Amino acid sequence: MRRGGRVLTILLGGLVAVYILAPFAWVALNSLQPEKELFHVPPRWVPRVLTGDNYRFIFTGQFPAGYEETGLLRGRISEKARDALPALRNSTIVALAVAGANLLLGGTAAYTFSRLRFRGAGPLYTFVLASRLLPPMAVAVPYYLIINRLGLLDRYAALILIHAVFTLPFTVWFLTLYFRRVPPDIEEAALVDGCTRLQVLLRVVAPVAAPALAATAAFAFMFSYNDFPFALFVTSTIRSQTIPVIVANTAINPDVSFGVVAVTVVLTMLPPIVFAVLFRNYITRGLIAVTTTR
Amino acid sequence: MSLAPLRPRYRESRYAYATVLPVVLLVALFTLYPIAFALATSLREVVLYRPWSTPFVGVKNYLDVIRSDFFLGAWQHTLTFAAGAIPLATALGFAIAHLLNSRTRLASFLNVAILLPWAIPTVISGIIWAWIFNSSYGAFNGALYSLGIIDSYVPWLSRPTTAMLSVLFAHVWKEVPLTSILYLAALQAIPEELYDAARADGAGSGAVLRHVTIPLLLPTTLIIVVYETMVAIVTFDLLYVMTGGGPAGATSLISYYVYNSMFVAFNFGQGAALAVLLAAALVVLITLYLRVLRTEEIYAG
Repeated sequence: MRRGGRVLTILLGGLVAVYILAPFAWVALNSLQPEKELFHVPPRWVPRVLTGDNYRFIFTGQFPAGYEETGLLRGRISEKARDALPALRNSTIVALAVAGANLLLGGTAAYTFSRLRFRGAGPLYTFVLASRLLPPMAVAVPYYLIINRLGLLDRYAALILIHAVFTLPFTVWFLTLYFRRVPPDIEEAALVDGCTRLQVLLRVVAPVAAPALAATAAFAFMFSYNDFPFALFVTSTIRSQTIPVIVANTAINPDVSFGVVAVTVVLTMLPPIVFAVLFRNYITRGLIAVTTTR
Repeated sequence: MSLAPLRPRYRESRYAYATVLPVVLLVALFTLYPIAFALATSLREVVLYRPWSTPFVGVKNYLDVIRSDFFLGAWQHTLTFAAGAIPLATALGFAIAHLLNSRTRLASFLNVAILLPWAIPTVISGIIWAWIFNSSYGAFNGALYSLGIIDSYVPWLSRPTTAMLSVLFAHVWKEVPLTSILYLAALQAIPEELYDAARADGAGSGAVLRHVTIPLLLPTTLIIVVYETMVAIVTFDLLYVMTGGGPAGATSLISYYVYNSMFVAFNFGQGAALAVLLAAALVVLITLYLRVLRTEEIYAG
């Protein structure tokens, strides 16, 4: 009975592992095969030919072998996939800036909300949190108009602003709750010693709250990196287009080579996966807090 | 507060506003203006080909929207989608949470692996699944064909029902990490003594599940139900890359429908009315959500 249960657990666990990981493995395998092989019916479950050609195309622009056969048009369309590298750079810059803005603005604001009494504190806090009630699609056009008025269309700043607006409420809420749980004794002592509030926050509170700060930075980074609709609306060229936009618009073209799309998919997934694995404990705790606490 | 005399009060409040106002003003700009804009635009006729004339039409846009079959259809699709996603994400999450909770090496591996679908951008998961469900070269077709279940490849994404099911499948794959983690946290919060007591009373594992685990996980289940409904309302990315809302609008959920009215049909007046209705629906749901959370608090004692 015990033994049977154990075997069942391992069996089901293996099944779940396959369910979760098979799509990743499949797309990774596809990225390493020539296009012709991908069109085999039924698919080659074990690849016959492995090649780095698709990767070389993305990195150097050299067409994969046998690519000319499929025609000039296809070659030209897949050329767009080469925007993946600059788009990855754009995404990373924007996401890091959003994470930084969350730590800087969100962190200081949350500390104030958790420790100081000032007029309007309650309503302002509620207002910031309630702003998240607006669904993205409901604010798309006004956001576009604001960004246009600010002259920021197709700039990093547009995305950083919008992503910050969408992540700050969570950061403020999450950190305010966290700071409230930290006993204020040491801070009071530091204040008596003549530290300013800002110094206390930076030197006393920040080191203690490092895990929570890491979690909020990770969440902000991932929200920004993964965002699709806003990036779609306020960017128009590779100057600011982020990786989800480039990969999505390359992939929905029915003529594109999937081998090449698969490479962009793999490259796109790497940063968030590394992030998720590194910060998994914070992320798990954060996820639970996001959905279950007020 | 005993320290107040050491620090002049006005300096403290100046610091408070200096730190809070950047966030508040930023959020205000991107909240109040969109609301005002959407309300104002929704009461006028604003169409792309006549930008110079935007006559006031009252609630006409709202009436047009509500009377439109496409609007009702989009809500119907959204609710169908939610009705499919909820039981699947709940049941799978519940089962996987039990696996994650077992103290095996496989469990610690799964605890990391389970985060991956959640971590990647939704459009990326959509692209992967669209490729798997591809009508001519997809792995899903290939697998069914190789197993002899189908005689010829099925165009999964080009038929209304199968397209909806495919999107649903991809969606559940992306959502299951969250539901598993929520259930895992809830499972771990159940005190071991409760199980011991139930077993001491002679309850078998089926009875323990029915009388201890499931009732104690009820609040989590309620949270997932409301949360998944909210997610269905904002689902857009998957549809953009998997079906484009098609075939024939069969997977055009409400957010995709709003996007279509604004950015494809360019009827901004109706689009704004839609946006207001969408926001209102979400507010109602979130209010419900918060009420559920409050119930849970009472539940936990």
